[in-house]
Amino acid sequence: MNTTTLLFEVPGPRGRRRNRLFEMVSWTILAGVTYIVMRTLDKNGAFDAAAWSPFGQWGVWRQLGLGLLNNVRAAVVGMLLSMILGCFLGWGLLSKRKLVRYPCRVFTDVFNGIPVLLLLFFTSLALPSWGLSLPDFWFLVITLSLYSTAVVGDLVRAGVQALPRGESEAAAALGFSGFQSMWLILLPQALRMMSPALVSQMVIVFKGTTLAFVLGGYFDLLRAATVLGAYYSRSLLQAQGIAAIAFMLINIALSQLASAIDRREKQRYGVQAVTLEGNVLQASAD
Amino acid sequence: MSVLFVHSGEFAWGIEFTLGLVALGWIGAMVLGTVLVIMHVSPIRTVRVVAAGYIVVFRNIPIPVQMVLFIFGLPLLGIVFPLFTSAAIVLVTYHAAFVCETLRSGMNAVAVGELEASRSLGFGPFGTIRHLVLPQAFAAVVQPLGNVLILLVKNSSVAAIVGVAELTFVADKIAIEEVQAFAVLGGAAVAYVVVCLVLKRFVAFLEYGVVFSK
Repeated sequence: MNTTTLLFEVPGPRGRRRNRLFEMVSWTILAGVTYIVMRTLDKNGAFDAAAWSPFGQWGVWRQLGLGLLNNVRAAVVGMLLSMILGCFLGWGLLSKRKLVRYPCRVFTDVFNGIPVLLLLFFTSLALPSWGLSLPDFWFLVITLSLYSTAVVGDLVRAGVQALPRGESEAAAALGFSGFQSMWLILLPQALRMMSPALVSQMVIVFKGTTLAFVLGGYFDLLRAATVLGAYYSRSLLQAQGIAAIAFMLINIALSQLASAIDRREKQRYGVQAVTLEGNVLQASAD
Repeated sequence: MSVLFVHSGEFAWGIEFTLGLVALGWIGAMVLGTVLVIMHVSPIRTVRVVAAGYIVVFRNIPIPVQMVLFIFGLPLLGIVFPLFTSAAIVLVTYHAAFVCETLRSGMNAVAVGELEASRSLGFGPFGTIRHLVLPQAFAAVVQPLGNVLILLVKNSSVAAIVGVAELTFVADKIAIEEVQAFAVLGGAAVAYVVVCLVLKRFVAFLEYGVVFSK
């Protein structure tokens, strides 16, 4: 039952006629807008064979593919790193000792509050000035994983706190140490409940890899498209459009995966997946 | 530290630009998001499809890509806006999708009986949306909308990659000129964190204000 069916009663014959009319009018408007857009595009050469001719070559697609592969690589490495570090951060956030908990909270708040781009400037300028010069790939990965660790850590905290108290009590009664109960009992369950949110975080990290555009030394998809556009001077828009569509399709697929996992978890175990009220929820809200 | 004081004027400009971008982006995103969410519950299929398509497209294209496409791509088609305006438009188009999604989840919080009651009292569909659904939806999602606002503050920095002189851009420029990345970028980071924390407190305060008994 959605809001539409509740707001608008099932129409009678007159209502149906009216709705049909509305629908026809709106299709006409849509067609008109599409026509105007297409004509503008056409007038400015978006459909010129010359502008599309580079995309007949295998090498061009190969370059774009390599760029995309670099995006995926950075996202995967960054996500893996942040999952490992995030587990430790979450453990720290759950600690009873204020000396451990407060620094972890500050870390989370700070890295949730800094724009990723600023962080990227920071790592790529400050780290070399401290004598740590790395390939741009690692600056990107460090930035993304620092940012993502804060989110994943908070998620781990939320996931563990969502578990029934009995779990940790039973672990204590069986003689598990705090470390053992965390890594053997609490974390595996929490990770399962977090899995939809983790996939959504993957979307955010993947979106973040496009910021590598500012680094200049990292050949990601957006950079590849721009370089191609500069080389074949008429195809900039086409190349960037292809890049945008590629990002869009991958992100849609990942969001679908997140909601599929969410549905399966609910169906199988009857558990509500853990989401943060922060950035994570927004990517997964479907 | 003294670097920050020497360049405090530039920093003030940067912060002003950032806040301007955030204000414009937020107003636009709220208006467009509300329009989209109304379109999303429309009984006319075309309108629903347009709204859903908008959300899918603009939510899934990363904002740097949108920014680059808008500022380097569209001029090739003869569509040119000033730099600041373009950045604000991209922020609006990207975040309107998130505002719409958030409001949609807020609409689900409206009780079915209230909708029926409103209809039986003679309110039309749009009267119901205007007087019953939207106020409750907004009140239910103050916190998530606050998160979208904080996301907007952070994403406004992306305008730096196309050269809008907002805080991140100014900080990067000064850091390169003065070769003091740590102090300068650290100062900018503190500014962002302060803005985000203040907004968080403000949203919590606002939520406390709009909580009503259900």
